[in-house]
Amino acid sequence: MDILANLQLGFSIAFSPWTLMLAVVGCFIGTIVGALPGLGPSNGVAIMIPLTFSMGLDATASLVLLTAIYYGAMYGGRISSILLNIPGDEPALMTTLDGYPMAKAGRAGDALVISGVASFVGAFLATIGLMLLAPLLSRIAYQFGPAEYFALYVLAFSTLGGISSNNQAKAAIASCFGLMIAMIGLDPNSGMPRLTGGNLHLMDGVDFLVAIVGLFAVSEVFFFIESHGKSGALGITLGKVTIPWAEIWTTRWTMLRSSFLGFIAGVLPGAGASLGSFMTYMMEKGIAGEKGGFGTGVAKGVAAPEAGNNAAAGGALVPMLTLGVPGSGTTAVLLAVLMTLNITPGPTLFSDRPDVVWGLIASLLIANFVLLAMNVPMVKVFVRILQVPPALLMPAVTMISFVGIYSLTGSYFDLILVVAFGVLGYVLRKMDVPTVPVIMGILLGNQMEKQLRDAMVLSEGDWTYLFSSGISVGLIIAAVLGFLAPMFLRRYMTKPQAISD
Amino acid sequence: MKARFLKALATSAVLGLGATTAATSAECIAPANPGGGWDFTCRQIGKILFDIGQVDAPVQVTNMAGAGGGLAFSTVVNERNDDAELIVAASSATTTRLAQNAYGGATADQVRFVGAIGADPGVIVVAADSPLQNLGDMVEAIKADPGSVAFAGGSAVGGFDHMKPLQVLLAAGFTDITKVKYIGVDGGADAITQTVGGFTQAMTGDMSEIVGFLKSGEVRALAVLTEERVPGFEDIPTAREQGFDVVAVNWRGLYVPGGISDDAFNAWAAKLQAVADSDEWKQAMADNGLAPFTKVGGDFQNWIDGVIAQTQDLSRQLGVIQ
Amino acid sequence: MSRMSDRIFGLVVILVALAYIAGALQIQTSFLSDPVGSKTFPVIVASIAVLCGGIMIFRPDAEPDWPEMRTVLSLAVSVVLLVAYSYALKPLGFILPTAIAAGILSYQISPRPAYAAIAGIGLSVGLFALFKMILGLGLVAFPKGLLG
Repeated sequence: MDILANLQLGFSIAFSPWTLMLAVVGCFIGTIVGALPGLGPSNGVAIMIPLTFSMGLDATASLVLLTAIYYGAMYGGRISSILLNIPGDEPALMTTLDGYPMAKAGRAGDALVISGVASFVGAFLATIGLMLLAPLLSRIAYQFGPAEYFALYVLAFSTLGGISSNNQAKAAIASCFGLMIAMIGLDPNSGMPRLTGGNLHLMDGVDFLVAIVGLFAVSEVFFFIESHGKSGALGITLGKVTIPWAEIWTTRWTMLRSSFLGFIAGVLPGAGASLGSFMTYMMEKGIAGEKGGFGTGVAKGVAAPEAGNNAAAGGALVPMLTLGVPGSGTTAVLLAVLMTLNITPGPTLFSDRPDVVWGLIASLLIANFVLLAMNVPMVKVFVRILQVPPALLMPAVTMISFVGIYSLTGSYFDLILVVAFGVLGYVLRKMDVPTVPVIMGILLGNQMEKQLRDAMVLSEGDWTYLFSSGISVGLIIAAVLGFLAPMFLRRYMTKPQAISD
Repeated sequence: MKARFLKALATSAVLGLGATTAATSAECIAPANPGGGWDFTCRQIGKILFDIGQVDAPVQVTNMAGAGGGLAFSTVVNERNDDAELIVAASSATTTRLAQNAYGGATADQVRFVGAIGADPGVIVVAADSPLQNLGDMVEAIKADPGSVAFAGGSAVGGFDHMKPLQVLLAAGFTDITKVKYIGVDGGADAITQTVGGFTQAMTGDMSEIVGFLKSGEVRALAVLTEERVPGFEDIPTAREQGFDVVAVNWRGLYVPGGISDDAFNAWAAKLQAVADSDEWKQAMADNGLAPFTKVGGDFQNWIDGVIAQTQDLSRQLGVIQ
Repeated sequence: MSRMSDRIFGLVVILVALAYIAGALQIQTSFLSDPVGSKTFPVIVASIAVLCGGIMIFRPDAEPDWPEMRTVLSLAVSVVLLVAYSYALKPLGFILPTAIAAGILSYQISPRPAYAAIAGIGLSVGLFALFKMILGLGLVAFPKGLLG
């Protein structure tokens, strides 16, 4: 079977002692980053990208390290959700709903173990799903010309807003900002500088790593300065951790259902892990009914969102790898990783670079087992790390971010840009304007414009060419629906806020 | 990805400390990230030079990515102009960019081109079900309607891949070359995908990019742009035997700083010739889809001058340069 | 006045986007050009931004929770600090600017001078050791003049 042969190739790459070590290190760092309040997978990976490249790792090694950090942070995010009632990132929000009540009832250890196992099940099944589904999707490559790619990018931007914000206009503004920033630099066709204001530093455009670090990491620091780090203290103590086998067994169907639904949510472009955990929690709550006691601290309420968000994280890799369209903020960051490594994800990735794809899949499988091993018996280690006070943590995050960018580009101008993006990120987040579309715009803007221009070269300027195939029409219709639907659905689906005491 | 000229320039200033420590052994600069053609050139030639005893110590390979090779070029010209222990990987992309003034005012005579010892032959291919059977069909179709055959290639507009079909058309007496459609995509595989998918009618690229697709039967090569048919691909006719006198190969070779002595230059030329004659290099070429193409020393410099003049002429007609 | 923030933000977006369009219309084009050209896409995107800015003006959301004036000042200080840090990193080396920047940031999050001082120095030395020794980055500890 093809998949087995491919997987063998992947493991032959991923199973070297060096990459295994990187996977373990990455999982460890990732879990820490995820567990720290205020730092999630997106900022965690964002901070680590520049450092990884400065260390001169090759493509496979960097990818293994960074995906291990990514998965680790997804696992780690639940720790602060359960113990502190502070989600490390948005997908972990739903875990607070039952995790924190469980912890308050003295069952923090059980909650951590159950959620760890649920994370494993979700992530593991999603990796299997990725293996089965991605090669199928990549066969449609021959159906995608410039017009279809353009439509696909339109779809990615229009659906992203519905999930990441409560106001479509604000999400659209964020996308426009990103696209506008992406246009700065040399014109890909004529080679002439544009929109640089004559500034030489801007000739090569704004580096997306600079934007990511500024929007995600530095803006977080500003939020901590504003709140004076009030979220530091650890309220819940953790007793002896035992494995509640019987209780885990009762959640088996919840985990399987949630993994499946989460994976589907992840595959949809623009939806991502937040939707995955939200949908699975709501579904399980509906199935359990009033008697299920969701929201009071039940095992299923922890298992469902954790399986869901980890499965969605795996599912989000499918459109990212096969179409080059990230399904979430974190996959947008991972897309940045690939593009920095000169690997352009897309339909041809599977035939061009099987080593990268299958090496990645194999290392995800390995990372999963490492994480399960780390997160269940060793959870106390990570709990201790939560006690790092923000007054030490946030300066460290800032300095690591700056050094990472500086060692990569060596330019003070980029550091100034990081600060500017930090301020922008702070204002945008205050205004409830999502920052992920900004990143997406910077990442995909040049491609999107190029596909449009290529389409017009082929059609000699005939705009109807953009709607000349079933695929492009279907994608555009999906984009319009995806943009409009949240406006109507929002009445029925308002996001629950984290509970407060 | 877009080259990051200024940033990379500054980075190298920061990280450059490590690169200059081993001053005794020769250094080969690959003006790109690890994994590409230039990196291959440096690593293979460097290894074989040491293996066959042409140098005393292993050649140290430095990757200096930026501005499509422009960063390495300006570093060599400005900072290491008389370093006789330095070689730099080069290819057709180097001369195309020099000819089009894409290296920020740098010119080809600021360095000395030592030689090429292998080449990736240029090819023009169509999808297996294309009505175009040979290069003549293609030229006739474009003469009848310049928009009827759109090309996809791995280089940007005005780049080496774009030039290949235009050279054929010019050789056939068709001069309205700005009417010919070309889209530059991300590498040869993407270009083939677009062609097999029917979005473009022909793909222009290098032999190494199409080998897999030829074997799977998805594409058919109309012509290879070499002087003779390529060993291993004897069934692909050359453009020349179809009546279009065009040779366009993506050669792999080296340049050295412009300020070194003639003796040093000739010494490198001799070493390169020794590599070209070695069995190790023949094996490396076979493994990587390269065809034999050896020109070293003064011969090569003359040939390069001709190629650059020709590229400039074509670029002017196309409007890429003024 | 309530809901003023969104209105002001919408206006700013419109002004920025209009300036951007003006900039895009100035783009030089070479005479090799495709049907779309260099200007069209930036103008389209900025026009959408103008439209959305208008929507924000006419349908603003509830007022966000802005920090009080003292906190805003404190944030401004940290921005100035980080900009200064960016400029200082190259001429002054890693250790000194990092210690100062990290110390002040720490103080801003939790106003304990002694703790902040120790955190600043500890972080700068610790991170330098980490970056230089373990990760092998090419950082300069002190300005060259000091070491003679």
